[in-house]
Amino acid sequence: MADVTITVDGVTLKVPAGTNVVDAARMAQIAIPVFCYHPRMKPVGMCRMCLVQIGTPKLDPATRQPLLDEAGKPIIAMMPKLQTACTTPVSEGMVIKTQSPEVKFAQRGVLEFLLTSHPLDCPVCDKGGECPLQNLTMEWGPASSRFDYTDKVHFEKPVPLGDLILLDRERCILCSRCVRFQDELADDPVLGFDHRGRNWMIISKSDPPFDSKFSGNTTDICPVGALTSSDFRFRARVWELNPIPAVCTLCPVGCNLTLDMRHERLMRVMPRENAAVNDIWLCDKGRYGHRFVEHESRLTTPLIRRGEQLVEASWDEALSLVAEKLEATRRARGGAAIAGLASPRLSNEDLYLFQKLFREQLESNNLDHLTGAPGEPAHDDLGALLGVGKDANLMDFGAGDAVLVLGADPEEEAPLYVLRLRSAVQRGAQLIVANLRPTKLERSATRAARYLPGGELAFIHGLLRELLTAGGRVTVKNSGFDDLKRVLNDTTGERLAERAGVAAETIAAVARAFGEARRLVIIYGAEARSAGPAVVEALGALLALSGKAGQPHSGLIALLPGGNSRGALDMGVRPDARPGYAPLVRPGLGARDLWPALREGQVRAVWIAGLDPAASMPTARTALAEAEFVVVQDLFLTSTAQLAHVVLPTTSVAEREGTYTNAERRVQRSRQARGPVGHSRPDWQIFAEVGHALSARAGKQTPRDDDAWDYLTAAEVAAEIAERVPGYASVTYGALAATGKPGAWGRQANEAIYYDGTNYENTEGVGIKLPAPVLTGAASINLAPRPVPVPAEERPLLLLSQPLAYGGDPLLRGSKLEQHVPAPYVALSGADAERRNIRSGDLVRLDSAAGSLTLPARVVHDVPPGVVLVPADLPGVELAAVQTGPRTRVHLVKLVV
Amino acid sequence: MLGELFKGLGTTLRYIFKPPVTVQYPEVKRPVRERFRGRHELKRFADGKERCIGCSLCAAACPADAILVVPAENDPENPVSHGERYAAVYEINMLRCIFCGYCEDACPTNAIVLEHQYELSFYDRRASIYTKEMLLAPPDKGHGDPPPILRELQRRPSPPAQIDL
Repeated sequence: MADVTITVDGVTLKVPAGTNVVDAARMAQIAIPVFCYHPRMKPVGMCRMCLVQIGTPKLDPATRQPLLDEAGKPIIAMMPKLQTACTTPVSEGMVIKTQSPEVKFAQRGVLEFLLTSHPLDCPVCDKGGECPLQNLTMEWGPASSRFDYTDKVHFEKPVPLGDLILLDRERCILCSRCVRFQDELADDPVLGFDHRGRNWMIISKSDPPFDSKFSGNTTDICPVGALTSSDFRFRARVWELNPIPAVCTLCPVGCNLTLDMRHERLMRVMPRENAAVNDIWLCDKGRYGHRFVEHESRLTTPLIRRGEQLVEASWDEALSLVAEKLEATRRARGGAAIAGLASPRLSNEDLYLFQKLFREQLESNNLDHLTGAPGEPAHDDLGALLGVGKDANLMDFGAGDAVLVLGADPEEEAPLYVLRLRSAVQRGAQLIVANLRPTKLERSATRAARYLPGGELAFIHGLLRELLTAGGRVTVKNSGFDDLKRVLNDTTGERLAERAGVAAETIAAVARAFGEARRLVIIYGAEARSAGPAVVEALGALLALSGKAGQPHSGLIALLPGGNSRGALDMGVRPDARPGYAPLVRPGLGARDLWPALREGQVRAVWIAGLDPAASMPTARTALAEAEFVVVQDLFLTSTAQLAHVVLPTTSVAEREGTYTNAERRVQRSRQARGPVGHSRPDWQIFAEVGHALSARAGKQTPRDDDAWDYLTAAEVAAEIAERVPGYASVTYGALAATGKPGAWGRQANEAIYYDGTNYENTEGVGIKLPAPVLTGAASINLAPRPVPVPAEERPLLLLSQPLAYGGDPLLRGSKLEQHVPAPYVALSGADAERRNIRSGDLVRLDSAAGSLTLPARVVHDVPPGVVLVPADLPGVELAAVQTGPRTRVHLVKLVV
Repeated sequence: MLGELFKGLGTTLRYIFKPPVTVQYPEVKRPVRERFRGRHELKRFADGKERCIGCSLCAAACPADAILVVPAENDPENPVSHGERYAAVYEINMLRCIFCGYCEDACPTNAIVLEHQYELSFYDRRASIYTKEMLLAPPDKGHGDPPPILRELQRRPSPPAQIDL
């Protein structure tokens, strides 16, 4: 937009047209105090704190030109009353006065008025010390009050809005920031106002109360201490905290956060601004789900099995036993008899050393970062090969850009994407949500499509066909384009639309939007991946055919489970490829093949780092119980660890350094916030020590530095990754600390008011975005559609596992979110329930080719007929017993008790 | 010359008949001034409840970083102090303390007061840390009533910042 020239307190500057006066003055380093205004939300002018004097040039009614005085300057007509700066957009020649006696009188008056009903209980208020009301009162408020102190209105407090957020009605100044955040940004309109006058109050309208995954953000942006979190309640004063920059590993978004420590104890978790990742927000899982780091069940010493018992041992004993047994197995049966599984929550350093240990010392390619449960989809390569480019940032997306979310439920899989996609829509971007079942994001979509179960491929092929007929071309290195053209030309748009169950007009409109869009990002999640690699490859072809592949801002984003699945794939913790997606000629065994191989004696020794396959997989349990040698490395004594011969305690994300690669392939660095628990050690260090012992044992202690396994710090491992892993060049700890453009908002030095709340400024690095290999020409894509096996449909229902944010994640232990984990259930549609005479609460049995599972039923109206959903990973539900693959055909039988 | 000598001896002679000024410490203790700043005491209200609300303002004001406060939430059934919050841990390191009295100034509830006890010597450094139990006044030695808003309302409000005591 064009710039306009304004004058603020005598400073003349150019600002973009449409800017409001608060933001415009801020560009001139002039602070206008605000309570209700927030830069990410629409202004409402409720608090009246931003009153300023505004004048505009007097216009000649005839010529519409400014009238000039004798000196040749435009005559300014001041508005007769003070104006709210947040609701007034700037205009050409506008003059703003923020320091005049009238303005000061108004500001003092507003603050005196606000304080008449404020309890002034700052000494016991958790906001005290980072409270905009305190700061504004100090800077702009009156020195004293004319109000009788004993005459304040008092209310019962605190009022729980939900189990996470507490409301103090006395402190609330009714600015509606929390209500507007929930309505506008989170799309969880669960808060509202009730009553009138002095009794006006914030209430929660939902059941369960304050039912939102973003509720913690309201405590950040609350300009007073009215909303505080029960997680941080009376734990410490904010000025006593030592903020340590870290990265959230609970989901693939990789939000930047700050671990606020006091005396080695985690007091609270706060968001750290990063415009390319989480902006200034944090979901409740990240904010409240880090209590596991100081859970009392953390492992503190290595354990070695002696008979039936696991007894405490020293590190020397444990590590030499591990090295000895693995070496013996390798000598006796070769490296193929050893397998390793590493959690996709470990850092890149851990994962790199893990695969290096296996490939170079143990000569084994039996590596994976999955548990091998039948429900796990295949490894996702395209999310990296065709990943979003180096400059991609959803925060830049606006008018003319398009995002397709297909087969994903971002609210559960990667919650922060909901906020980012919604803000892109508010800036004018097209958001197309295509799913098998309704998701919350669908409400925010500019266009929603709902395909039939199994119709996703037809839907994408329909889009491809439209793009092809519109003259779409592929601009990146590829193969198989002719095959794709033949398959698309063999069918008709109507037939594809019918198979997808989506109107042909919708498909045409979506394809048109893609063709017209400047930039296109395709996000896909668990549901799309469960349909098999053909769907993901078709999405890659969609990006290529829309002409957006090769653009630095467009690409695919895969929502994978765990915080660092992408890092695990990049580091080659998989049986079929080395680091950097270099395929192996002779792949090893993946997690799914591991369990039968272990039972049959093909594999003798297993090393499991951070995964718990025994908890949910009967096959893994029996195989591990009979295995010759099992090493488990974890934070807790999990069911897998109980079957181990050696248990090694590791440090959590708060006790170690590390880098993590998020869904968009941004590598970010997390720092150490506290000392290790007991004798626990970082994972990379354990791998390095075993590697050192093995190379010494094998007499391979050569002068070659890289075989010496003598890493002292995680930074050294990172330096080796930068050297050896394609794509990670220059991703060193030093480079990761760069912040680029300093944040425009956030808790900044020398700033009296936190316009956007108490999130922290990012001074420790915004991370490095890796380039996508296809875009840089380093790889090519295969567009040939792979033949899709037609499943035998002898069973009528399609069983899908549904990822939940508050599912059975073992890392939620000790947090208040544990109460949000639902009891196990199977969700089915009303039509299916009626046909089988099932009501919510009835026990039903799912029968598949693999086995059966009994669960209480829950009739949910938004599940499509023919589909049953079971939440993934809930404790006590062994989905693996019934699943034959990511998508399983099942019978549903009502059990009569 | 001689005159001066006898003048001096006269002074000596005069003091011979006066009682000695030496105080036989520790048998005898000399009273300190009213505003002497000695060892701290954590005060109570007359009803026996602790005055301290665990706000940490004393620790924030302390120039020597001698005070540690770990706050906690009151059990409504069995509150330690008036209001929502109390100090679960309150420790002063007497080796660090410089007895400046800033903590007393900062305290919104007049809970911490520097009293007249000055015998602070320890055999080891650990013993210099005075815990809440050591600092608290006996339950029957409380004084003053909690402010009216705390007493009159049938609820649990927080003590306001400016309690007029």
